[in-house]
Amino acid sequence: MYDGGIYRSEELFELIEDTGGTVIQKTRSSQMLTVTMSIPDGDVGTVSEFCREIGGEVKHVPLAGTEIAVVGPTLGRHHMPHPICDIAEHLRRQGAITVVMGLARGRGKKTAQISLEEKMIIDEYDAAVFSLGNFKTCIEAKTDLFSDIKIPTVLVSGPVPEGIDGKCDAIVSGVGRKASRMRSTSERERLDEIAEKVGMVLSDKKKALDDDPLFIYPAEIKHLLEEYEPVNMCLRPAPVVLHLDGLRIKIGYGEHREAIENMEIYGRKIGDICRLSPSKINDSSIIMRIKTRSEVRHEDEGKAGG
Amino acid sequence: MDIEVIAEDGFGGGSYENLFREIMSDVGKAFHTEKAALVLRPEVPLFVFSVKLRAEPSSKTIADTANIRTEGSITHLTVTDERYAPDILKELWGRFGRDSVEQQTRFDMEVKDVPEKDISSIVIASGEEYLKEIVGAVWRSMPEGIKNRHTYIDGSAVTVVATEERLEPWMLEEGLGYHKKIMGAGKDV
Repeated sequence: MYDGGIYRSEELFELIEDTGGTVIQKTRSSQMLTVTMSIPDGDVGTVSEFCREIGGEVKHVPLAGTEIAVVGPTLGRHHMPHPICDIAEHLRRQGAITVVMGLARGRGKKTAQISLEEKMIIDEYDAAVFSLGNFKTCIEAKTDLFSDIKIPTVLVSGPVPEGIDGKCDAIVSGVGRKASRMRSTSERERLDEIAEKVGMVLSDKKKALDDDPLFIYPAEIKHLLEEYEPVNMCLRPAPVVLHLDGLRIKIGYGEHREAIENMEIYGRKIGDICRLSPSKINDSSIIMRIKTRSEVRHEDEGKAGG
Repeated sequence: MDIEVIAEDGFGGGSYENLFREIMSDVGKAFHTEKAALVLRPEVPLFVFSVKLRAEPSSKTIADTANIRTEGSITHLTVTDERYAPDILKELWGRFGRDSVEQQTRFDMEVKDVPEKDISSIVIASGEEYLKEIVGAVWRSMPEGIKNRHTYIDGSAVTVVATEERLEPWMLEEGLGYHKKIMGAGKDV
């Protein structure tokens, strides 16, 4: 991730392109610029040197190219903003795009619940971090909130819960309900641990994708989409967000599905190699899942046979 | 502020002590609180937060919180209790208008053409409002899902008993016991 000024940033983008890399995320705030990029290992030295030359800093961000949901029991002041916002901010510093979510009826011990719609929204992300509270018995009673979630989940709680093996992919303890920011050394260490655990659960997902790779990299489709005018003109922050196995495109599903499905890349229509669906939040975003090579091959064989 | 925590969950007990302290400081009530007892039984769930204030809340007038003297048609005020300075200024501006009230320093104000007795009797903080703020701070400290609450208020003691579903008689009885304890009440109370 490059963090610096906009001075000579055009040259930086050209250099990234020359190395065969790609810009994952670009955020400009006044004269400052943050660029999350993916570049080949062999060119890291050259790009880092150039970034330093133009007065910026470069750091390795392990969560780049992922979108992570940080989920709290509610959006009430008891659960927000600390430590949920601290966790989300820390994950952003590690390169992830994050969203903060509160459940409609997640409060309480016996009355806490999650709806099917909420589960489906969370499943759109690469991973989810559930932040629960300070009491062991409450956390152990609230495992239904995340036990049916299909994506990797990390539970963040105060005490270490028992008897919840298999209901989440990782647990980080020592972070409960708080009324102030996580500033102390031990609290910063907890945040690092959360980012590390998120990286760990995502690496399992990456390994699965290595076994059966995607037909095309999400970043290549992002390049193509950026030339599509409605995406190019979209004023929403990060109009195209990379996922490990696809993308979130922040334009209307109804209006643009057909146009996107008919776009061509490497001689194939996107509709043939990806699945498009409206986001469960609302249909102003599109969720694109890229098929794996084996899936595409299987479909090709089916078509040839038929 | 002395806080006694009665909890079996070690982590929860420590966290809620800090949480309570921070929230009472945030809402500016830590100074007014002499001691507090927090009973945390999440397994039931039952929570009893009992607070003993340094003094019984009563209505405060400007005369209680500022020195007042009159010279000719001008009444001079010197605020003696900093906490009430914004409330005094707000009341004076609201009643007599900004043209009649001049704030010379943070604590010194002048009011033109208003008799001293009309200024000194203005109530700037009511005891009821103060108690509401204390109860609000206690509710804010409690876990969010614990919505069924009963509040006991006697003099300078405030106790909130809360649970998630039904408030059973034994819960209220237990809460009342803690309330009497923090009041320092005798056996015949």
